[in-house]
Amino acid sequence: MNVAARVALRLVARWEALLVALIVGGGVWSWTLSDFFLRWANLLDLATPYVFIGLLALGLTFVVVAGEIDISVASTMAVSAVCCAQVWQAGVHVWLAAVVGLAVATALGLVNGVLVGVLDLPSLAVTLGTLAAFRGLAYVILGGGSVAGLPGGFTKLGGGYVASELPVALLVLIGFAVLLGVLLHATRFGRYVYTIGSNREVARFSGMPVARTRVTIFVLSGFTAGVAAIVYLGFFGSVQADAASGSELIDVVTAVVLGGVDIFGGSGTMLGVLLALVLIAVLRNGMQLANLGGATQDIVIGGLLLGAILAGNVARATRGRRLRRRRAQASWKEVTQPADQARVPVATTIDSEQGG
Amino acid sequence: MLRRGEAVSTLTVVARLRDAGIFVALAATVLLFSVQATNFATVDNWQDIATDVAMVVTVAVGETMVVLTRNIDLSVGSVVGLTAYISSNTLAHHHGVPIPAIALLAVAVGAACGVGNGLLVTVGRIPAIIATLATLSIYRGVLFEVTHGENVLASQLPQGFLDLAAKTPAGLPSLAWMALGVAIVGAVLLRWAPWARDLYVIGSNPDAARLAGVRVGTRVMTAFAVSGALAGLGGFMFAARFASVDAVAGRGFEFDVVTAVVIGGVNVFGGSGSVLGATLGALLVATINNGFTLLRISEFWKIFFEGTAIVVAVTVDALFKQRLQQALRRRRRAEMIAAHRSATT
Repeated sequence: MNVAARVALRLVARWEALLVALIVGGGVWSWTLSDFFLRWANLLDLATPYVFIGLLALGLTFVVVAGEIDISVASTMAVSAVCCAQVWQAGVHVWLAAVVGLAVATALGLVNGVLVGVLDLPSLAVTLGTLAAFRGLAYVILGGGSVAGLPGGFTKLGGGYVASELPVALLVLIGFAVLLGVLLHATRFGRYVYTIGSNREVARFSGMPVARTRVTIFVLSGFTAGVAAIVYLGFFGSVQADAASGSELIDVVTAVVLGGVDIFGGSGTMLGVLLALVLIAVLRNGMQLANLGGATQDIVIGGLLLGAILAGNVARATRGRRLRRRRAQASWKEVTQPADQARVPVATTIDSEQGG
Repeated sequence: MLRRGEAVSTLTVVARLRDAGIFVALAATVLLFSVQATNFATVDNWQDIATDVAMVVTVAVGETMVVLTRNIDLSVGSVVGLTAYISSNTLAHHHGVPIPAIALLAVAVGAACGVGNGLLVTVGRIPAIIATLATLSIYRGVLFEVTHGENVLASQLPQGFLDLAAKTPAGLPSLAWMALGVAIVGAVLLRWAPWARDLYVIGSNPDAARLAGVRVGTRVMTAFAVSGALAGLGGFMFAARFASVDAVAGRGFEFDVVTAVVIGGVNVFGGSGSVLGATLGALLVATINNGFTLLRISEFWKIFFEGTAIVVAVTVDALFKQRLQQALRRRRRAEMIAAHRSATT
């Protein structure tokens, strides 16, 4: 096989290529259901309801790559949105309220980060607890009511359009994906995250700031939840304490895992997560076109989450088996061809040692 | 050998402290509410609490087994909802079916859900929290599909079933008797049954358990199946208690159960914990929920309290464990030094 073919194969065999193929397949399916699907405006608007989910997934990607999990992201977003809305209702300028919301979300991320990174508690137990605690906090802050009527200049960020067709939220998502993609793939911090996810002991012995990095990823996850809260407020125009308490969390985790991020840490790309989000948006949109209810959609997305992890596990097992076979072949070769070359250097060392 | 005995006794002391702590917390809560809420310390209210706690205890026994193996089952709330609907819907359409058969049906459906979780975790090698988070959503989706948005009303159910939860043989509600039976059987199994002892071994060190010849996959599978089956029984109890069941039945119930198990001293790192602890935890959760209602404290505080309780319990357990390990390490080092000295002199 020549080099060009090999490069081409490697490109095609990538997880991201599979996602693109699935997105195209979902698009064709949607197109057969409705002729409106392929309209430019519809295509651009497809992902808008899922932008806040995408932002949560981008933040969660860092956590999962580092081998941890944060299932409190949806609750963090709810607290942030509720705080922002309450502060605005108290008469504070809306952008200042947004800053308060961001600060609250970051602080909640710091709580998770300290519990996991400093006290060394298991992230699944901690964030399971904070999932409930933060949700309770949202209820305590806002009660059973809702806040609506946020000013138009603010809601534009989640629900507005540039040139009447291009959703602002989509630009926010892509902007953050690029920013966080650079942070994950092109900075020293990003390399720390991958190394910690692959092998925390190695990272520690290599002198990496393991505790600090682990705290930072949760703070980052909290911060992106704050950004997601702003987009959420803009898209829906109102907020209740039960914001994003349904299937949203499953969508977020599915986007990350389906995006090719290893659930056991150490690998994954930002592009994959973004593509997986588009796939989820296309599938949910298509299922709505096919008149399938929310329950059916949740079953499909849940199945997709499990299928993605199973596929990853099978792929890893196959790769491991191939590696072992290759190693076995290599050692077999060594046994069957007692190469003089292999023996000679050893002999010379001994000779030289004896000579010395 | 004597030294090793001492180390074990330190462990038991810590474990007893943990159980004593939860007991003190329970006593303090009861005392506080008795003083604060006038209608707390009444027979009627305690029977209410007993019925509330019955469901949590039943499901918590299964959850304890799963958590002991260093896994978690978040799908129990959805399984409770699904089996509650199946129980009451079957009874609504076939009045003649004997009630024990309905209970068996609920247990069987729950066990099937549990086996599904177990397969995903053992054969599929999916982390339990992700697998059961997905099945939480999937089983709830199946429930919505099954109900078609309709609900079973109390008026559709036979009188015999409606009377079940109201009966109080020997002063204790019948559901509480069922839960007590489950807890006793669970405690006996976890104390003496070889397969259940394996759950502790697996949770303490899964790799070592595998190397020691413990059938880890089968045991974890069993734990999930039992957890599902008991969630099924919990669903049957839910149907008996509330009579009217809809598609959101049991939503969020997993948090009641996990909170009870975790504050009851079942370690989320696996390997330690008891049914007694989980039962005390369930009692504490139910008492506090009840007290909140009587004192007209918003139910919104309940979920905040549960989440915080999980985090605090996990933190306390982890700090306990770290201290214990430090103490053990220090003692072992002292032993080695002593042995070295006696060898050299």
